[in-house]
Amino acid sequence: MSGSRVLAIAVRILRQFRHDPRSVGLILVVPLVVMALVGYLVGDAGKEPLPVSLVNEDTAFGEAPGSPTIGTTLASALEGQAGLEVSEAPDADEAERRVRDGETAGAIVVPAGVTEAVLAGRPAQVTVIVVGIEPGLDDRVVGAVRLAMAEVAAAAARGGAGLPQVTIDRVPVEGSKDLSVLDFFAPALIVVFVFLFTFMLTSVSFLRERSSGTLERLMASPASRLDLLLGYLLGFVGFAMLQALVVLGYATIVLDVKIAGPTWLVLLTLMILVIGVVNLGIALSFFARNELQVVQFIPLIFVPQVFLGGLFWPVQTLWPPLRLLSQVFPVTHAVVGLREVMVGGAGVAEVASRLAALLAFAVAMLLLGILALRKQRA
Amino acid sequence: MALAIEVAGLSRTFGALRALDGLDLDVDEGEMLGLVGPNGAGKTTLIRVLAGLLRPSGGTVRVLGSRPGRDVAAQIGYMTQSPALYEDLSIRDNLVFFGRLFGLSAADARTRAEEFTALVELEGRERTPVRLLSGGMRQRTNLACSMVHRPRLLLLDEPTVGVDPLLRLRLWDHFRTLNAHGTTILVTTHVMDEAERCTRVVLLSDGRSIGSGTPAELRGRAGAATLEEAFLVFRDSRGDA
Repeated sequence: MSGSRVLAIAVRILRQFRHDPRSVGLILVVPLVVMALVGYLVGDAGKEPLPVSLVNEDTAFGEAPGSPTIGTTLASALEGQAGLEVSEAPDADEAERRVRDGETAGAIVVPAGVTEAVLAGRPAQVTVIVVGIEPGLDDRVVGAVRLAMAEVAAAAARGGAGLPQVTIDRVPVEGSKDLSVLDFFAPALIVVFVFLFTFMLTSVSFLRERSSGTLERLMASPASRLDLLLGYLLGFVGFAMLQALVVLGYATIVLDVKIAGPTWLVLLTLMILVIGVVNLGIALSFFARNELQVVQFIPLIFVPQVFLGGLFWPVQTLWPPLRLLSQVFPVTHAVVGLREVMVGGAGVAEVASRLAALLAFAVAMLLLGILALRKQRA
Repeated sequence: MALAIEVAGLSRTFGALRALDGLDLDVDEGEMLGLVGPNGAGKTTLIRVLAGLLRPSGGTVRVLGSRPGRDVAAQIGYMTQSPALYEDLSIRDNLVFFGRLFGLSAADARTRAEEFTALVELEGRERTPVRLLSGGMRQRTNLACSMVHRPRLLLLDEPTVGVDPLLRLRLWDHFRTLNAHGTTILVTTHVMDEAERCTRVVLLSDGRSIGSGTPAELRGRAGAATLEEAFLVFRDSRGDA
């Protein structure tokens, strides 16, 4: 062993870093960004209150109008919670519609006569309407109601009454009750696979096209930029769809994941996503000198999408600027759209806005790809 | 005779660098023109302008009667300095791909692939992936790919750099055969004995033409024994001439 040679190698490596400021920047900045995101997402602080609507039909009992009922106590307990933003709904149908249309994350329906039933010692039930396709979101709504019920019980105990026997009935507006965790995560996993592999494959193979000089040859041929991009698209979309079919097939056949909606819609959603990602890969490959730099793009473009795309933490609870950012991410629309189709059984009309967002991303990336190629033929 | 290349007052700048500086150049169809000059004289820039890869900063360029670009691309073959091939594809797959790209039908591309593998003496290796080929074989495959569509005009950018002397002779034999069959060839080189094989030589220095003629004419006019010496004479006398 020679100390000076070891030192020479170490010094050379540090010198090389000095000539690659982007790598150094990424190595130092990316962990900070990721840690800030995780700290924010896992921590309790800074979460946006969830909009829920409340239908309280249990406003009075017996001959004592004006005295507190379980419904009114629950209402004030819910309104006192920082995590919720409670609005009143006229009836259960309207409350359900608001959940279905995404205006609220959930609804609490306290039927008339709950207090009387409890006083008479009969079992009573409060209904919590949830979306049913995003467990993180539903659990927060149900959790908040449980917490409020505990306050109601404590108030009842203070008033000398016994513990009220009120159960919470969780009703999903989409999806069914007997879905496993895997059913919820399968759409997200598929999106992650498709995005990541398509991005890496296209950007690396386009990078090679550039560094090997074959791109120069293509540019000197009668092929137009559009020919080139469409050819790439056709090849990679074919390949990515094969991958999607394999992943989807394994998930449904072996892991018994359910696809409530039409399978072709799942594939269509993935296809539009892939079209965007192929062009994203092509465009970004122009900013990379080598394969290492392509890999460096992954934490930059992919990690934020995974964290903010509704895979683990519901988009609705994000700080508004982050929520806005998440709406720019194709992964958000793909994950939410696929969940709606696979878990919620949505049809084309229901995910049309998601598909439109993905399509807009695809078109924007196609234009970016053409622009990047234009720089090549100057 | 029709002109294959008409260049008038061509300039191309890269920032402050003037790679081409008012270059005039006419090439007749059927010529085998050698473009000779040191590194940085503007040879590659000129070839890239002719291939439609670079836009001129000034002056006019016509290639086979049109502006360089996609309209004439199918009639031009462009051979890059270093082999530009798909490493994972076989020789034949590369040839078929470039043939198809330049407008051949699938059947024609397959026939041509066979024909051109034989022409560059690589028969028997059609199915070998390019990454397993030696440097010389790659360069021959590269040549075959640039002419698989039988271009009227072949642009060769230092085609023999890094090629052993024996293979160099064979490549030049190919060029002459193609030229004899009517292909106009523009070849850049800084190897003077290669320039000697061209029907006409243009000496390029600092983005300008400093002399043009057959190798013998250039030597005679400069009173020099070799083209190298002639190049130096022309370059030094440029100011006075």
